Amino acid sequence: MKKHSLFLLVLFLLSVTTCFAAMQLGEPLTLEEVTKVSEINQHPDQYTGKRVLIEGLIINVCAARGCWMDIASDVPFEKIQVKVVDGEIVFPLEAKGQMARVEGIVEALHLTEDQARSLAEHQAKESGGQVDLTSIKGPSTYYRIRGLGAEID
Amino acid sequence: MAWKKWNFILHRDMGYLCIGLTLLYGISGLVVNHTSHAFNPSYTIETQKSQVSPLAAGKSPDMNYIQQCLQELNVTAQFKNVTMLTPETMRIFAEGYTIDVSIASGETVTERVERRPILFAINYLHLNKGKGAWTWIADIYALAICLLALTGFLMIGGTGRRRALVLTIIGFLCPLLYLLLLQ
Repeated sequence: MKKHSLFLLVLFLLSVTTCFAAMQLGEPLTLEEVTKVSEINQHPDQYTGKRVLIEGLIINVCAARGCWMDIASDVPFEKIQVKVVDGEIVFPLEAKGQMARVEGIVEALHLTEDQARSLAEHQAKESGGQVDLTSIKGPSTYYRIRGLGAEID
Repeated sequence: MAWKKWNFILHRDMGYLCIGLTLLYGISGLVVNHTSHAFNPSYTIETQKSQVSPLAAGKSPDMNYIQQCLQELNVTAQFKNVTMLTPETMRIFAEGYTIDVSIASGETVTERVERRPILFAINYLHLNKGKGAWTWIADIYALAICLLALTGFLMIGGTGRRRALVLTIIGFLCPLLYLLLLQ
């Protein structure tokens, strides 16, 4: 029994220490050409449904589950959100301030005014930030990337 | 009967093997169940509002100003990066810190993130964040738990048979009733 316990302990420690070093999340990246975030933000309809590779600074990460992160655009004050299926990929909170390469599919969420407000409130809660709900008027389309794989430097 | 003896041995030894991982998954399950916007089971997150010297009008933020902000906030962690969220708000990233500075007023919001000791590691394993080899170990453990349940079921008998059956049925009814009545 002692041998079994020791084996499990060693396995546990090895898994924990080796896994922390890896910053390849989800599927391996397959695309080589990087699409600028500003390009996607400027012409979202052209990219909707398409698989893209983006890169940029991670400026925010979902504080509750690590299920999304915001990537800064190459254009000042702009960003794009990368959303993943809960649990499939978990972005570490420590990744904020690091560079990431993310591959995923651009998706469009067509939202009513209420849905847009709910989404903004939800995101503000998850990121611990604040939101100006009065700026949300009428239905809108929210573009984001459904993340499939990521590399974090 | 020989099969009963082997069933007992299998149940006993699988039980021993599963003690460590059952505790790991049990404790992690308990905290992960309560994940919310206010509670992250793997990290402690502290937010604090404070004040630094505002940036002089007409000046653009530079490394000197960033260092000054970090000094005034007593943040000695290694600087990672910086970005402008809006023309008025600068976000500084240092190891474990995210600091939003309103450059005109000097108001800051500092978020400090730290891994919870032990819980970070066991949640990491429970949620299989590392994938790879741990997926295999977790799969084997899941099968072992099923085997433990089945061999346990086969041990029902003797004087405590009625009690064992009642408890087993309650165990099955819990999820079934929840799904049928509360969903």
